[in-house]
Amino acid sequence: MKVSARQRLRFAIFATSAAWFSCAVISRSQSSPISSASPVFREVTDEVGRTVRVPQPVNRIVSLAPSLTETVYALGLQDRLVGDTDYCDYPPDAQKKTKVGGGISPSLEVIASLHPDLVLVTKSFNRLETVHSLDNLGISSYATDPHTIEEIIASSKKLSDVLGVPEAGASVAADMQHRLADLQKRLGALPPKRVLFVVWHQPLTSIGKHTFIADTLRLAGAVSIVDAEQDWPQVSLEEVARLQPDFLVFSASHSDAVAPAVDALAALPGWNIVEAVSNRRIAVISEAVNRPAPRIVSAIEDLARQLHPDAFMEKPESGKEKLQKENPAPNPPPAAHSSLPPDGAQAQMVFPGGCA
Amino acid sequence: MKPLTLRRLLLQCSILCVILFLVVVVALKFGAVPVSLYALGRDLLRVLFGQSSQISSDYGLIIVNIRLPRILLGMIVGASLSVAGTSFQALLRNPLADPYVLGVSSGASLGAILALIVEPHLSLSPLFAALLTPLGAFLGATATIAAVYFLGRREGQIDSTTLLLGGVITGSFLSAIILFLMSTLTGSLRGLSFWMMGELSTPLQKSVYWFLGVGFLLAAGAIYTTASDLNLLLAGEQEAMHLGVDVPRVRLVVYIAASFLTGLAVSVSGAVGYVGLIVPHVMRFIFGSDHRTLLPTAAIGGAIAVIMADTLARTVVAPTEVPVGAVTAVIGAPLFIYLLRRRLA
Repeated sequence: MKVSARQRLRFAIFATSAAWFSCAVISRSQSSPISSASPVFREVTDEVGRTVRVPQPVNRIVSLAPSLTETVYALGLQDRLVGDTDYCDYPPDAQKKTKVGGGISPSLEVIASLHPDLVLVTKSFNRLETVHSLDNLGISSYATDPHTIEEIIASSKKLSDVLGVPEAGASVAADMQHRLADLQKRLGALPPKRVLFVVWHQPLTSIGKHTFIADTLRLAGAVSIVDAEQDWPQVSLEEVARLQPDFLVFSASHSDAVAPAVDALAALPGWNIVEAVSNRRIAVISEAVNRPAPRIVSAIEDLARQLHPDAFMEKPESGKEKLQKENPAPNPPPAAHSSLPPDGAQAQMVFPGGCA
Repeated sequence: MKPLTLRRLLLQCSILCVILFLVVVVALKFGAVPVSLYALGRDLLRVLFGQSSQISSDYGLIIVNIRLPRILLGMIVGASLSVAGTSFQALLRNPLADPYVLGVSSGASLGAILALIVEPHLSLSPLFAALLTPLGAFLGATATIAAVYFLGRREGQIDSTTLLLGGVITGSFLSAIILFLMSTLTGSLRGLSFWMMGELSTPLQKSVYWFLGVGFLLAAGAIYTTASDLNLLLAGEQEAMHLGVDVPRVRLVVYIAASFLTGLAVSVSGAVGYVGLIVPHVMRFIFGSDHRTLLPTAAIGGAIAVIMADTLARTVVAPTEVPVGAVTAVIGAPLFIYLLRRRLA
């Protein structure tokens, strides 16, 4: 009697749960991802090697990174941008766009409700799971992954092509290259300043050699004292004191009041032995340095101005001529990536990535 | 203990199923994008009658392809963790046992991460490659519960305090290894918050839901066959043995099945904590401690709890999402302290 009741029970439980589960599965299997109604697609390969089917034309864009939002604005496509992240604050108009959450865990349903033709992601800011989730929902996403300034330029150009405005991309790229070439002429063969780029001071975190920020420093006439393989290495104060950087470089976005933060830093035991701190040799540049977008060139110019004020004493024209006479092919700072063309005419060169 | 009748059990389960249904409707309605109840009801009816093609793409994508799979995942994760918690509590004769508190979830996380690291180096067929993560999680969970079990034994008897302490320390040790692995490795491993706190935000392939559902039913079914024995075990291992319970066999079946359930849940959602602690307590309080009732009610209750927690996780700071494990821990940890104090008093 007892046994049969037990068996009946087990069966009942099994049946109930099986029914519950199969109901759920059936309701799921009947649904299929609803793709955009656009009939025309174009296949492109993004910067992480995925083949992406991009609906044509791209009229509704969602950006999942501040740098991509800035790039979209730089390309003049702000009217097609229908959503961005909580961190997209530049240009100020970007704050008014529909917010889809943060870059790490955006709301998939808000993205879906915006019916984007294309979602822009970047490998350093977004997660692979987000891309997989978008794939499962039939939403096209395009990933960028620039590691140098040259790659940022190429990436902007390629993105402009994917978004259907190659001319805008070419002009943005030409402007960036022109300004960088000018800068290299000014800096000429000046020895690079040894700097510590402070990503965060508690714990002290700097940048690795494969980040675009390392390349930013090189182009601004500086070299990072940290030479790590990791992208965001934690650095010990002892090591900083041993290497004695000429300058500490901060970006303004990490603290609204950098100056008090530096004072606080100088007051901390240990930091005084870093000469750059005790002598207040601090460079503060805008948060643009953290974003692989066209605006990074202004951060490079700003940093170069603070690190090498002498190079900016003369008027640009005379400086250019003088430097050209002295050194027709100026040696860029010792860096593998700073192979930017030395003058404006060559700056029009097309990067191989730009014609996909 | 009141005699158990099939009718009463079915009644209890159906009440819980009604609550589950209501919670599912609430979870489907609320989210970052507002959806009206009317549109929801209309679309659900269309799904039921196989006319999902008629659902307006506005809501269809959100309800059918984002919220529903996530709710389904929450159900399975909640039910698995809750049944695993109930089993550990019975077997260890400790009402504070829970896969997360005992470090079993951390062990499963570590196992899953190691499997993810090893997988690209083995040339496996796609099917085996997909199964490697849950397998790693299962092995990690089994090894951890074995270690904690031996840590918790003093003079041949399980000592509750030593057991809990051993579990917490083991969990902390394993979390440290996870942190170490995560800070040295980069690549396509899921983020740290996933493994440490648990998340349900990523929709999975359809086949994974089948695997989860079948795996849950098999493991939970295996545990259910020992339900009467677990009741006798509450009196003590010696006593149960005298009453004719094959204690080593029950122990083996339940440990393996409960570790499997933990591994299953962790491999798809990370370490969601305290579900296996709270839900069995609530169910015991309402329906009594007969495992023949407790196991099925805890399964449904676990599904309800995780769906509710995840709905909160999706909505409190929408559109940004909070890991679901943060929500369960905020509710579960104080409850754990309360239960601990009450037990000591």
